[in-house]
Amino acid sequence: MANDSEPTVVRYSDPTPKPTVVFGALVFLVFLPLIVSTPLATEILIWTIFGLGFNLLLGYTGVLSFGHAAYFGLGAYSAGLAFRYWNAGLWTGIGLGILAPMLLACFIGVLAIRRRGVYFAMISLAFGQMLFFLALSPLKEITRGEDGLTHIPVMSIFSVSLNKPLPFYCFVLIITAVMLFVTWRILQSPFGKLLQAFRENEERARACGFNTTLVKFFSLVISSFYAGLAGALDTIFLGYVPLSTLFWLTSGTIVMMTILGGRGTLLGPLVGAGVFLFLQNTISLLTPRWELFVGAIFVAIILLFPAGIVGTIQEKFATYRIARQKT
Amino acid sequence: MLADLPWNVIALQLFFGLALGCIYVLLASGLSIIYGLLDVVNFAHGTFAMLGAYAVFAAVSLSGSFFVGIVSAIVIVGLIGALTEFLLLKPLYGKDPLLPLLLTFGLSVAIPDAMKIVFGLIGKPVNFPNALTGATLLGPMILPNYRLFIIFFTLFIMISLWLFLKKSDLGMIIRASTRDSLMVQVLGVNVSRIWTIGFAMGIGLAALAGAISVPMMSATPDMGVDMTMVAFVVTVVGGLGSLGGAIVGGLFIGLVVAITSFIAGEYASVSMYVCMAVILLVRPRGLFGEWGRE
Repeated sequence: MANDSEPTVVRYSDPTPKPTVVFGALVFLVFLPLIVSTPLATEILIWTIFGLGFNLLLGYTGVLSFGHAAYFGLGAYSAGLAFRYWNAGLWTGIGLGILAPMLLACFIGVLAIRRRGVYFAMISLAFGQMLFFLALSPLKEITRGEDGLTHIPVMSIFSVSLNKPLPFYCFVLIITAVMLFVTWRILQSPFGKLLQAFRENEERARACGFNTTLVKFFSLVISSFYAGLAGALDTIFLGYVPLSTLFWLTSGTIVMMTILGGRGTLLGPLVGAGVFLFLQNTISLLTPRWELFVGAIFVAIILLFPAGIVGTIQEKFATYRIARQKT
Repeated sequence: MLADLPWNVIALQLFFGLALGCIYVLLASGLSIIYGLLDVVNFAHGTFAMLGAYAVFAAVSLSGSFFVGIVSAIVIVGLIGALTEFLLLKPLYGKDPLLPLLLTFGLSVAIPDAMKIVFGLIGKPVNFPNALTGATLLGPMILPNYRLFIIFFTLFIMISLWLFLKKSDLGMIIRASTRDSLMVQVLGVNVSRIWTIGFAMGIGLAALAGAISVPMMSATPDMGVDMTMVAFVVTVVGGLGSLGGAIVGGLFIGLVVAITSFIAGEYASVSMYVCMAVILLVRPRGLFGEWGRE
């Protein structure tokens, strides 16, 4: 075994994210549609919500799920099916889009969360593919298979129609702000501290008498809440549910965004989603082969800056501060 | 449903399942060797199998011989594997154990797109080699020669692999490093080189699996993901890091997939995941897995 010796774990932790930084980020987001197009800005926010939950699991708990497309896609499909077949209201649809992935997370969690890291990654990926193939062919009657679920009615809130870019951006921005605050609160709570303790040293946390399996399980379920919410918002945003929401590349994208931005940092998912989607949009203008470049950039990040953008900046800032204190 | 059919039709499906299972065995045993030796779950395993498929296509169009194609696929892709380990994975050992996994994932995103640029989007077919077309009559059953070849060839490869690991000096060092690499290093073996060799071997097996499956399903850039998935499912079913598990799991999953695609085609891709879920429920460590490694 190559990693038999004690792994020197680099600490990416971000103990107290400063409120000023978070508020600054929110102010920036208000003006984001002036910098990039409004649909792209909306997409960035949706992936940020997805990433906040994913980061809770990967960055703070240290559990790598490679099947988060299952929760995102299930959320998107549940909301879409509710809107289309049951004429569900906005909040009912979003609620169902959150509930269904949480139930799935409970099921997968019971089956697999006990397994060690790499094993869980494999199992979650396989379950994600299972859902993809189920939606593709056996459940074609309901999900419309490869075509995706179309004919989803337009939603509105306080009689403002959400199919116009700017009102919908504001709607998603409010939800993003709420989720950012919720995440911040979770990380400050004893539960959040436990998550971080497990990532640093699971053995020791267990020796202290904590039920590590249970806490990891809850971390997974909470994370699926975010994924489902993001999926439901994506359905309203696009007006249809593409089959690709369940595809393995969706799981891969959220992994890449979170690593790129900096796992275990509060604002990492936001930065990661922004940079990733901006790169993707820019490169696909030049060539349809954007995956080659994004994949290569990801490999380079893993080799050179495993802490990600925000993590690396924080490290540099910390070394700078220590250096200044010495003089 | 099965009971209404003549037994030789069912037997033929089982035979197809066995041949499919053999490809799965090659895939999963490569993954198992790499995991056992390096503790790295290779997310790009199917991607390397895809490279093997393209290597056969390229070699067959250049030389015309399928067997030259197979050998060159193993050698070329094995060397690519060794280079990958040496240049990209080595710097990550001893750091966060998730980093090598993430790196191979990045490769599995980037490499298929590179192949799309080089070979185009459309699949590249390779004809069955002349010597292996046609079929053999066995009583009332007609067995396609190429699938017979896959079964015997896999048998040959697995026996050679077993002999190599059990009898040769290098094989013994590889087995020892799988158990305790630090101890082997203390005894004066350059373990770092053993890891490169082991990684190349695992990749070579994946390339072989890709190579022999090409005549049945032409080489496409996106075939890798499905093969990675198969390797994962088989490994979870058989038990991580166990060669015996890879063999039994591979044949089992092959049979399951063949039978379901015969009786309920649309569930063919789902069936193996259901198998995996059931195994996880009743025997979480897999059929042959050791406790503590899962």
